[in-house]
Amino acid sequence: MPEVFIDGKRYEYEGEQRLLQFIQDQGMEVPFFCYHPSMTAPANCRQCMVKVGQPVKDRETGEYEKDEDGERVIRWFPKLQTSCNIMIADGMVVKTQETDDLVKRAQKDNLELILINHPLDCPICDQAGECPLQIQTYKYGPEGSRFEVKKVHKPKRVQLGPRVVLDAERCINCTRCTRFTEEISKTHQLTITSRGDKNYPTAAPGREFDDPYSLNTVDLCPVGALTSADFRFKARVWEMNQTPSIDISNGKGCNIDIWTRDNLVLRITPRFNEEVNDYWMPDEGREAYKRFNENRVSRPLQKLDNEQVNSSWNNAIATISEQVDGVDKKDVTIIASPHASVEENYILAKFASLLGMNPPVFTPHVEKGKGDGFLLTDDLAPNANGCRLLGFEEKSAAGIAAAVEKAKVVLLLSDHLADRGIITTDKLKDTFVAVFATNHSETTKNADLVVPITTAAEHAASYVNVDGRIQRTFPAKETKYSNRRLDLEMSEGRLDRYGTSFDNWITEENKIDCLPLWRFMSELAAYKGMENFAYTSGREIMDEIAAANDLFSGVSYEAMDEQSGITLDKTKTTVKL
Amino acid sequence: MSSADWKNYEPVLIPNVKDIHKIDVYIKNGGYSALKSVLTDKKKWADSKSVVDEVKAANIRGRGGAGFNAGLKWSFMPPADGGPRYLACNGDESEPGTFKDRKIFEYNPHVFIEGALIAAYAMQITTIYVYIRGEYLAYIKMMEKAIQDAYDKGMIGKNIFGSDYSVDFHVTYGAGAYICGEETSMLESLEGKRGYPRVKPPFPAQKGLWGRPTTINNIETLAHVPSVINRGAGWFSSIGAENHPGPILYGISGHVNRPGVYELPSGIPILDLIHDVAGGMKNGKKLKAVIPGGSSTPVLRADQLEGITMDSESLRTAGTMLGTAGMVVMDEDTDMVDMLWRITHFYHHESCGQCTPCREGTGWLEKIMLKIKNGNGEVKDLDLLLDITTQMEGRTICALADAAAWPVRHTITRFRDEFEARCKKSAHAVV
Repeated sequence: MPEVFIDGKRYEYEGEQRLLQFIQDQGMEVPFFCYHPSMTAPANCRQCMVKVGQPVKDRETGEYEKDEDGERVIRWFPKLQTSCNIMIADGMVVKTQETDDLVKRAQKDNLELILINHPLDCPICDQAGECPLQIQTYKYGPEGSRFEVKKVHKPKRVQLGPRVVLDAERCINCTRCTRFTEEISKTHQLTITSRGDKNYPTAAPGREFDDPYSLNTVDLCPVGALTSADFRFKARVWEMNQTPSIDISNGKGCNIDIWTRDNLVLRITPRFNEEVNDYWMPDEGREAYKRFNENRVSRPLQKLDNEQVNSSWNNAIATISEQVDGVDKKDVTIIASPHASVEENYILAKFASLLGMNPPVFTPHVEKGKGDGFLLTDDLAPNANGCRLLGFEEKSAAGIAAAVEKAKVVLLLSDHLADRGIITTDKLKDTFVAVFATNHSETTKNADLVVPITTAAEHAASYVNVDGRIQRTFPAKETKYSNRRLDLEMSEGRLDRYGTSFDNWITEENKIDCLPLWRFMSELAAYKGMENFAYTSGREIMDEIAAANDLFSGVSYEAMDEQSGITLDKTKTTVKL
Repeated sequence: MSSADWKNYEPVLIPNVKDIHKIDVYIKNGGYSALKSVLTDKKKWADSKSVVDEVKAANIRGRGGAGFNAGLKWSFMPPADGGPRYLACNGDESEPGTFKDRKIFEYNPHVFIEGALIAAYAMQITTIYVYIRGEYLAYIKMMEKAIQDAYDKGMIGKNIFGSDYSVDFHVTYGAGAYICGEETSMLESLEGKRGYPRVKPPFPAQKGLWGRPTTINNIETLAHVPSVINRGAGWFSSIGAENHPGPILYGISGHVNRPGVYELPSGIPILDLIHDVAGGMKNGKKLKAVIPGGSSTPVLRADQLEGITMDSESLRTAGTMLGTAGMVVMDEDTDMVDMLWRITHFYHHESCGQCTPCREGTGWLEKIMLKIKNGNGEVKDLDLLLDITTQMEGRTICALADAAAWPVRHTITRFRDEFEARCKKSAHAVV
């Protein structure tokens, strides 16, 4: 197997590999800014300099030449090389900043040069705390600067597009953003303008940077030059909690991180998953953070004299129980939802079957033409395939409307059918409609009972994406009934770990009065005296599904965490996913 | 012909013939005979490779500044695979002090066109681009006319001289960026992109214009090809300095009586060029310094010039380079601080901004130079300047950072007294 020597240690490798990537893959580090594993390497930041040599081979014998000590004779490249665009070759000898003073010096020199025209406004910069330039400077940079003349001034606060703001002075011209629009989103909307130290990225004159993936450039930017118009100045990075999750705004199920502070979701960023979304996500998915904070149903609502009033959990349980018992079981229609998780849908189905009701039906939420073949899909719900795999009957919009119309009691799971124009509310006057919902809508407004349930940002649950891959979320924000310090699924932020209770932000109103659906249903089951129906977490529901349903065999939270999601075996089902 | 015998040299690129820029005059004076010979004389030129070998033997060292053997460069082209291949002629001469290609465009365009056609044939290339700097608007028009004339005469186009060789010739021009004279950024510019130099490898011979094999030659380099074909490699390599043979277009500017472009053998003593060819120093002033080959080549003090000849080896021993042979002569009244500030200003203005050391370094150099020029500098600034040049040199994709760093380093080290005299007196004694 070919070999390479890095800082005196031997490594074996296979295939074609970039030196910088290989060094990183071995758990070592070389500082860099412009390189990105999913894009071409322009080698323009010149930060990842290393010393590279190749052993000398005897032309005739093909053997390596040896010196007096029996060591291979190395022919070093006359100049330092950027490790990002060098492919490793058999026998290559590499010295990084750890073992070579010239390399160390070159990296330090380069950082001094990068910083001379950088505004050094970290205290007011959004990127501070997650800034590669800041980090590399602390690690490899000079202690001070010898720059005593005037810095270059460039445009600031430029609204490049609806979602991205540019501060050209902070830009270090790594061209990650322009390469993103060329190579990944392929809109070619950004380019570098001007020359030399007046360089900065911009859209064409009179054009907007309205790429549907534009916010990825904000993540890519190794400094605070590109910032999100929405998130700008909202929070310092170190005040937030970062929780892994799944994008629920469409069927792709992009892996994301949810960033919260004080139990409000402040932003969503993509999380690397080679199988699903690589490093990217569409802007639409990021804007979906608002639905976790705003317009939430908090505490149950009940219609009395045609007016919805605040109710109590006990009342909600008693009301549903009473309504379900008051009619023939076949007159109860349960509508499952592609917007809800596998666990939530399953629990409703189990409830129905234990009581002898019709199994749930669902209708997918598809808008033709929304998809782009990349990360946007026609399917606007995160879990249509989950409903299919649970064996629910898939109905057209008209089919759902008909099923609702003939029912006497409707249990509707977080699908805003009235808002989608599938049902009209005036037809429901004689029907008792209970909605399990996260947010207010036309549908909830007309319901007889609204039961607030948790969102994907508040519970751990799984979703099956358009490609049949099951992935799960983690609770990112607390509800009235959860506690970050007790729930081991919840992330711990810097302030949780090191702060006193006076350091952290605590606003009780930000905690929504809602329950995970399984907890509510368990309470309901207990009220009705049902057995085998007490769940405290999505985890145990998934274990139960995996044991009972062959399609989900092998699926568990542990397995999903380990493999960042599991692609289900589609051959096992006859249902078209 | 030895360099010492330069007074008897008969110019071939810019011969003393009236109206040689007109195609009829050029043909009447033996023009396009070399092209005809390589295309039709199968006894002399069995195949295109024999042309490459001849040019390689002549050792035409690239006249754009790097001095690489042109024939050797041609031989790097992969064998023709039926797909497009390109010859890109670099007429973006923007180095301060250099104006030799302009002379060819203006005075004898067909010698270049003929050379380019022979080169294209030798490498089995069917498309030629000539990239001319945008400021040369008049010469762009002249070149367009000359190429049209050559098309009309059947020198360019389909089945030239009845052979099965066809070629197209296009004029394109820059928009005022020095960096587009760097060969790979010229390719980017030709492709209609921003003039950013490319990372090598891959080299243009493997992946050049639009990802296809491409050779890039300087205008003057190609203009030498017809005479190599007509008179043989032996004739060419016997002229001037052995390691850097052939005639060179010397562009002499500055404080001399007769500035201009002169075609003479390589390896002429610098002092002969100044005092004989260029008619000596203006107003009888004393010679102070010479930049031998364009602004990026390190400056030489007058006392360093004795015995130095205009060829790469001799100039290397003197601590500078031949570059483009665009020589800038400075007399005793020249302010070296001002001169160096102007050069740093140029490189700051022209850095493309791709690589950090060059983008930031060139600006820093200029700003410190401005401070010194205005009398606000300190002696420590001179050392800082030297330090910055080491931070820039050899750490970028193309050679612009080197070109910006060398004049600073060598002007300061060679004229340190003058720079220190411009600096503020330090409040503290330097120990």
